[in-house]
Amino acid sequence: MTDLLANLGLGFAVALSLQNVTLCFLGCLVGTLIGVLPGVGPIATIAMLLPITFGLDPVGALIMLAGIYYGAQYGGSTTAILVNIPGEATSVVTTLDGHQMARQGRAGVALGIAAIGSFFAGTVATLLIAALGAPLTRLALIFGPAEYFALMVMGLAFAVVLAHGSVLKAVAMILVGILLAAVGTDLETGQERMTFGLAFLTDGVDFSVLAMGLFGVAEILRNLDQTETREIARARIGRLLPSLADLRQAAPATLRGTAIGAILGILPGNGAVLGPFAAYTVEKRLARDPSRFGRGAIEGVAGPESANNAGAQTAFIPLLTLGIPPNAVMALMVGAMTIHGIVPGPGVMTKNPNLFWGMIASMWIGNLMLLVINLPLVGIWVRLLKVPYRLMFPAILMFCSIGIYSINAQPTDVMLIAAFGVFGYGLIKFGFEPAPLLLGFVLGKLMEEYLRRALTLSRGDALVFLERPVSAVLFLVAFTILAAALLPSLRRSRDDVFTEA
Amino acid sequence: MSDASDGARRAGSVVRAPQSFVAGIVLVLLGIFGIWAASDLPRGTLGAMGPGMLPHWVAIGVATCGGVLAVTGLVREGAGLQTFGLRGPITVVLAILAFAMTIRPFTLGPVASPGLGLIVAGPLAVMIGGYATAEARFRELLILALFLTAGCMLLFGDLLNLPIPIFPTALIEAASGKIPSRMMLRMAAGVLTLAGLGLLALQRRSARQGRIDVASHTMST
Repeated sequence: MTDLLANLGLGFAVALSLQNVTLCFLGCLVGTLIGVLPGVGPIATIAMLLPITFGLDPVGALIMLAGIYYGAQYGGSTTAILVNIPGEATSVVTTLDGHQMARQGRAGVALGIAAIGSFFAGTVATLLIAALGAPLTRLALIFGPAEYFALMVMGLAFAVVLAHGSVLKAVAMILVGILLAAVGTDLETGQERMTFGLAFLTDGVDFSVLAMGLFGVAEILRNLDQTETREIARARIGRLLPSLADLRQAAPATLRGTAIGAILGILPGNGAVLGPFAAYTVEKRLARDPSRFGRGAIEGVAGPESANNAGAQTAFIPLLTLGIPPNAVMALMVGAMTIHGIVPGPGVMTKNPNLFWGMIASMWIGNLMLLVINLPLVGIWVRLLKVPYRLMFPAILMFCSIGIYSINAQPTDVMLIAAFGVFGYGLIKFGFEPAPLLLGFVLGKLMEEYLRRALTLSRGDALVFLERPVSAVLFLVAFTILAAALLPSLRRSRDDVFTEA
Repeated sequence: MSDASDGARRAGSVVRAPQSFVAGIVLVLLGIFGIWAASDLPRGTLGAMGPGMLPHWVAIGVATCGGVLAVTGLVREGAGLQTFGLRGPITVVLAILAFAMTIRPFTLGPVASPGLGLIVAGPLAVMIGGYATAEARFRELLILALFLTAGCMLLFGDLLNLPIPIFPTALIEAASGKIPSRMMLRMAAGVLTLAGLGLLALQRRSARQGRIDVASHTMST
């Protein structure tokens, strides 16, 4: 306990330096901005801004990038409530009751309760990261290559189960991702793999290039297909502070949402996405009068909003302690850390305590800032929504190009984002989700490395994964959830969770 | 896929879920391509895995998934093919290519491009890319391109000092030693901004003369 306090003290000392506070604020501001704007997600933004952080020190750079990520979760709910457009995937559920509240003239209360719930969830999640950081790091140190491999298989299994739609398509996407990750020079033998003699493929496909193509350019192409319907709530936003009765009604939902989101966020395999859906379902089941949901129930805003923010933050836990990115944004964080010479994993906490605790402390500070950025400035954010898409996407296009070019100064990288953009557009059109592909790509390289190492140690005996208890359990979990996802009855309820929204 | 007649029409044909079927076939082809691409790599043994082992088996996995998907497309009813926009993808790809080819001197096989820097590549990308939608208006895009380029030059070139070429290589060579590069950058950004402001003012005036409507959308907060 005293350790924890001392560590948090160190963290706040780092995070409260003028430079880091400014960077945290900038990150939160940019995050809110892109959260509000539909069609620009945190993945593309962080990939775009990655080169900007080259000049910063690693702690500041990561504080800013983290701010963009959780800031986007805040901003996403603003548009969900006011315009019925989820700014981010995680705020889809908020549109249900949040927008209804806005229609009833209670937009301010919905925004207020979302912000308060998010702040509470963020605080709890910050404490959770601080508390779980040390024990999980110790656990990670006893992990061998077999355990790491098993853990990643489990993460991918979760990613499959949590993806929308067909399980088969999700598996295929992950495999394509792993295959893409194999392109380039083989780390162990130095042999070029599947490069077809092309010089720019020797180092493999850059992660930010793939992410920018699949999530930046493909998203533009998809949005261009849809005719724009943006109906901004003309109604008054009304007062922002919820009444005592509102608070009393929302408090249990906030608590439950925080718990659900925090637990799901830790799962390696993008559990954070499921958090809001699960929280909404739980609230609806528990409610005395479920028919209120979808008609402006305040619990339907408080629960999912807390869950989404809690999950966004606990997603840092697998990254910081085990070095395994649970989702695409965290994978970009890996990129940012590697650029600054930090190897993500259990070593971060002991070798760079400044970074580890500074980042955690900055998250709480960031949440506080977001409360300030969001509530009083809500009018400005709404005005931003009036920027028509026909002016927005050329700007995104230009920022993407500049961002990718400045990472490696390679025009071929810029061309590749166009190629991956078209590829991603095709995937969307054929009902595939690009997120599992990206996760497979990120984990692919690590998985191969650990698989090879584990098998070399066991002299080619594949049973090693089942003989070691920890890895056997992880494999069992992976197998069980995959099998469960394929069972018809469970499959239906899984679809329900997603379609109910 | 939304109405019953659609399903009934398709029931007669062999393929019941065209989307899954086509996607499956593409995956099978991708898998076969992967197997072929990794075929010249030594696979090694389980104890000492070669570089070809993982790609080979993963590619087989991709092809298998594709096969199963294609079969389900034959057996089970499902979604039809979606319409693809052509204007969007082609224009956006052209815009990105234009940026990539002009940002710095670049040779790709027989094609060599002059390095024109951000001051040309940026507006080019915005102007071409903007036409991805039918709502594009030339003057509006021009104003946007001017402002964005000026902003990006100041942000990326001046403030953040990123190693991104701003001006055409020929111009840099000609100006080297005569004008400090920072100064040149700021002056150019200023000129672009002024041009943008001028155009904006022109457009405002013509808009006012044209229609008097454009009710100001006041947002009550």
